[in-house]
Amino acid sequence: MGKLTIGTFSSLIGSMSLDFALRLAEAAINKGHKVDFWVSGNATMLSKKAQRAYRDYSFLEKKVEELIEKGVYFTACEACSEARGYHKEDTMEGWKRHNMDWYLASCFDSDRVLHIGGE
Amino acid sequence: MKLGVFVSHLRFNTDTYERLKAERLGVIFVQNGIYHATLRENGKTSPLLEKSANFYALKDDLETHGFTDSNVDSRVKVITYNDLVDVIFNEYEKLVWL
Amino acid sequence: MAVKKLAFIVDKPPYKTETSRLALTHALSSQSVEIYLKDGDNVEPFLAFIGDGVLNCIKNQKALTMYGVTSLDMHIRNALLFGLNVYVCKEDIRKFGLTEDMIVMDADHPDGELKTQIISYAEIQKAMETCDHILFF
Repeated sequence: MGKLTIGTFSSLIGSMSLDFALRLAEAAINKGHKVDFWVSGNATMLSKKAQRAYRDYSFLEKKVEELIEKGVYFTACEACSEARGYHKEDTMEGWKRHNMDWYLASCFDSDRVLHIGGE
Repeated sequence: MKLGVFVSHLRFNTDTYERLKAERLGVIFVQNGIYHATLRENGKTSPLLEKSANFYALKDDLETHGFTDSNVDSRVKVITYNDLVDVIFNEYEKLVWL
Repeated sequence: MAVKKLAFIVDKPPYKTETSRLALTHALSSQSVEIYLKDGDNVEPFLAFIGDGVLNCIKNQKALTMYGVTSLDMHIRNALLFGLNVYVCKEDIRKFGLTEDMIVMDADHPDGELKTQIISYAEIQKAMETCDHILFF
């Protein structure tokens, strides 16, 4: 089994790239691979707790919680989060916050890196 | 190199796509990219399918957009997320998202 | 002891979206990545600007004055100052009618030794082939 690092900058709800990335992470972890999930830029929205489940809106908080339980390692860019007003106390349980160097370190020992750069 | 290229848009600047070369090239249509696997515009299939590559389309996204396997160009293989994980780990070493 | 090469490929123009800025800031974060790795291990990024991405390299951008954000040309100068290889696609520079004196070619700093390398797409392709992972921005 290998390690997959997914890095994404896409907005929560405004783009469905995060939905894709989470489903891919789920399929990979279910197959026994290790998964690191990095969010930077607008994707840091995903780390925010208290998302509401409305019918026509992607609700990803629950999926993230499930994946954390399964062992997906979620990390948000601290600078990108803080710039957007998401502080430590706003962050979902189980998320880590680091600088961008963490993403590069994750790539270092990954077998596959999928960088989803923007929307 | 063995390169997997994710295409997620219907309209995008295809210069980069045209230029990418690999000893083994895979093109994976996801999100709006699945239109390249299913639509004909003015009677013609997508020019992206002319590239010498292995083509894949994500089933979940096909169905999200109202298509079934029967709408998919014969050059394209329909895959699930589980299949996609295997494609990523077994077929290609590097991945690019356009 | 291992060094992993990461290709940061920028093919989009600056400012409307933050993707090219994030490419630069992520690549520059390689300066501190060692804290997460074993002794002797490291990450070696390079930046390549292709297609519309070459527009990030135009000199004299006034983003700081106009919008209070660091301009892309300043980020590129920092990348050169910190020893990152910066490649700019020759064919795409020509396509936009840009010349060497219109783009960032050096760090504009006494300690900056590296210069921007204007190379063919074929050479950039080769660089992608020899790296461990490719990140498109």
